[in-house]
Amino acid sequence: MAHEPPPGISVSVPRLVFGGTLLFADLSCRFAAGAWTCLLGPSGVGKTTLLRLIAGLVEGGRVEADDGRPLAGRIALMAQQDLLLPWLNVLDNSLLGHRLRGEGAGGRAKRERRARELLARLGLGHRLSALPAELSGGMRQRVALARTLLEERPVVLMDEPFSALDAISRHRLQDMAAGLLDRHTVLLVTHSPLEALRLGHRILVMGGQPVTLREIAAPPGPPPRPLGDPALLALEAELLEELAASDARMEEAWASAP
Amino acid sequence: MGVRPLITALGLLVCWQLLVWATGAPPYILPGPLAVGRVLLARGDLLLEHALVTATEILLGILIGSLVGAASAILLTAWAPARRWLMPLLVVSQALPVFALAPLLVLWLGYGMASKIAMAVLIIYFPVTAAFFDGLRRTDPGWLELARVMNARPLAVLWRIRLPAALPALGSGLRVAASVAPIGAVVGEWVGSSAGLGYLMLHANARMQVDLVFAALFLLALMALALYFAVDRAARRLVPWQRETLPET
Amino acid sequence: MRRSAVALAVLLLLAAPARAAEKLTVMLDWFVNPDHGPLIVAREKGFFAAEGLEVDLVAPADPNDPPKLVAAGRADIAVSYQPQLHLQVAEGLPLVRIGTLVATPLNSLVVLASGPITSIEDLDGRKVGFSVGGFEDALLGAMLERYGLSLDRITLVNVNFSLSPSLISGQVDAVIGAFRNFELNQMDLVGAPGRAFYPEEEGVPAYDELIYVARADRLDDPRLRAFLTAVEKATLWLVNHPEEAWNIFKGTAAELDDELNARAWRDTLPRFALRPAALDVGRYRRFATFLEERGLIDNPPPVETYAVDLFAR
Repeated sequence: MAHEPPPGISVSVPRLVFGGTLLFADLSCRFAAGAWTCLLGPSGVGKTTLLRLIAGLVEGGRVEADDGRPLAGRIALMAQQDLLLPWLNVLDNSLLGHRLRGEGAGGRAKRERRARELLARLGLGHRLSALPAELSGGMRQRVALARTLLEERPVVLMDEPFSALDAISRHRLQDMAAGLLDRHTVLLVTHSPLEALRLGHRILVMGGQPVTLREIAAPPGPPPRPLGDPALLALEAELLEELAASDARMEEAWASAP
Repeated sequence: MGVRPLITALGLLVCWQLLVWATGAPPYILPGPLAVGRVLLARGDLLLEHALVTATEILLGILIGSLVGAASAILLTAWAPARRWLMPLLVVSQALPVFALAPLLVLWLGYGMASKIAMAVLIIYFPVTAAFFDGLRRTDPGWLELARVMNARPLAVLWRIRLPAALPALGSGLRVAASVAPIGAVVGEWVGSSAGLGYLMLHANARMQVDLVFAALFLLALMALALYFAVDRAARRLVPWQRETLPET
Repeated sequence: MRRSAVALAVLLLLAAPARAAEKLTVMLDWFVNPDHGPLIVAREKGFFAAEGLEVDLVAPADPNDPPKLVAAGRADIAVSYQPQLHLQVAEGLPLVRIGTLVATPLNSLVVLASGPITSIEDLDGRKVGFSVGGFEDALLGAMLERYGLSLDRITLVNVNFSLSPSLISGQVDAVIGAFRNFELNQMDLVGAPGRAFYPEEEGVPAYDELIYVARADRLDDPRLRAFLTAVEKATLWLVNHPEEAWNIFKGTAAELDDELNARAWRDTLPRFALRPAALDVGRYRRFATFLEERGLIDNPPPVETYAVDLFAR
């Protein structure tokens, strides 16, 4: 739970080549403050690259917060891999950011208490001293989520964070994340249209080479939206078709590439 | 551990004795295991006294060499100028044959333990540093990026991510060190000393007491084995979070 | 006329022994140096060939190897040391001395001429470097005791082959095992002259520094006698033509031609055994007794079991 109003983000990329392909050309987009934006698209279109650009890991564009202050230091990143350190237990892994920043002993007790509470809510209360090697993929991803939340940053970037989970865990974690990251600026990259429809205040579909962004209307109601809603399901079918077509176009483009 | 290594050892001893009988080698060329066993008992105190000297040289050499090597690897990781200036030195330390350096070291450091320890240090410096440095610079880029986004302090990245991740590599380097350090100590003793198993071998050889030479050699081999197992165990303790994926036996 | 021609032909046939040259392996004690003068001259001046021998002079990798190789039958003759022979025989090596190369001791106790040690008494509490030879403590002990000192009053340090460097650099105060014809010249040449104390002048019985040894069961091999005959001729020739002999020696390899070897050659000349095959039984008996008294060997066997004059058998 961040203590400052979350900023909106604007991105403008004149030109970005990655792995020999022109991914972005004259790309510009805005991500609303305090809202969840879900980024959908086929593999290889550049979703992760865009995320990394915003995180400051890739050079090549202008990324600005709309409150004028720099974005660096206000972002928490949850990558596709859990990136847990194998020699730290669950509790220590969740508090990794604080260790790496060398935050002082003062406030450590409070931080630890918050970590324990959060991990308990995520269903890991009984595994606090376990090493990552002893955990299932789903559990490790939950630790990563805890780590991300404990960073308490106003902007949260997530790259397919729930893809390694089984359906039930995924559903539960989606609900928990939506609840805990309610007033944050969240950019969630996903390949699951259902996830985007459940969680996104805004939904952007990425496609083509170079990439174009197309916004589709989010279903009514606040996220997390219930699964059974027929409007949701209808949109899901539509999106799946569109994604499949986009995917096929990309494959063609690669096959005919020089 | 079990019975199997003992059977292997016994088998080797039998082969040795058979070799002596088959070739008809005289005792001043190749003594049999019985002759060596006899001398181990008869001159046990002499052998032990010299063995302790060599053991001390080896252990101190490994300790100092490992510390200096680990520190060098960390320095190379943390400081770019070090990579420019220290790397060539590192490679040269490996290229120079230890035998050539031994007389110089003895001349500079004297005939006591210091020159032997220095030899052992020199011989393990490259394996330890190279192995550890290799581990340190191959850190998973995912962790490094996560640390960057988290605004990690550079020293914290080195200390809390690169270093623990490189400990398995350090362990490999230490295992190599354990197996070559005895060579450094013994070569140092050959070139100039008045104590130690290497010196004893020289002296016994000059007196044509070849069974004593072999007894000293046997003790040296035993020490090297014990050292290797000890270091192997320690290296595994360094990395408690890693599981062996190959069964032990 | 025809009868004399036939007689001449028969005579010539009888006189020319068309024998093929026999091979002989001689292991040297160290790299070729002026101590090996007679051997080099014998080879280069054809004295070996005249005896029907083709001699292979081999320098060892490890100086301790040659006697072992001869004892094992892998070489015919080895250049070795009389003191070592006593020890080797005590350890059961079947070796016999058949001739002498250098008939005086060469081993000396050397200190820096510019240093504080002017007599052996000054060695009290000092460091003495040695090359591992197996009997340096016997030599040193005898020399020290003459002056009321003993081995525990000094520190013995094994400097292996760095005798001169360790002395010159001050790592040790004295060295034992330095050859008076070699190390002394070496130190002179680098500007740090030495002062030598000679064991045979300080209570150690005189001995042959360099001898020829062969296997005990091969003494009837006629090549051994042929070898000694050639060596004797070469030694006499060397004594008669020292300058020419030096030129022959240094001409055999480029690395032999240097100032150190030139000086060593000059100092070694008077020390070559002029009667290589002859044996001084008393000398060997006295040295065996000396080693027994110093505790290096027990119950030395009769001299004739390990030292012979092949021509007196």
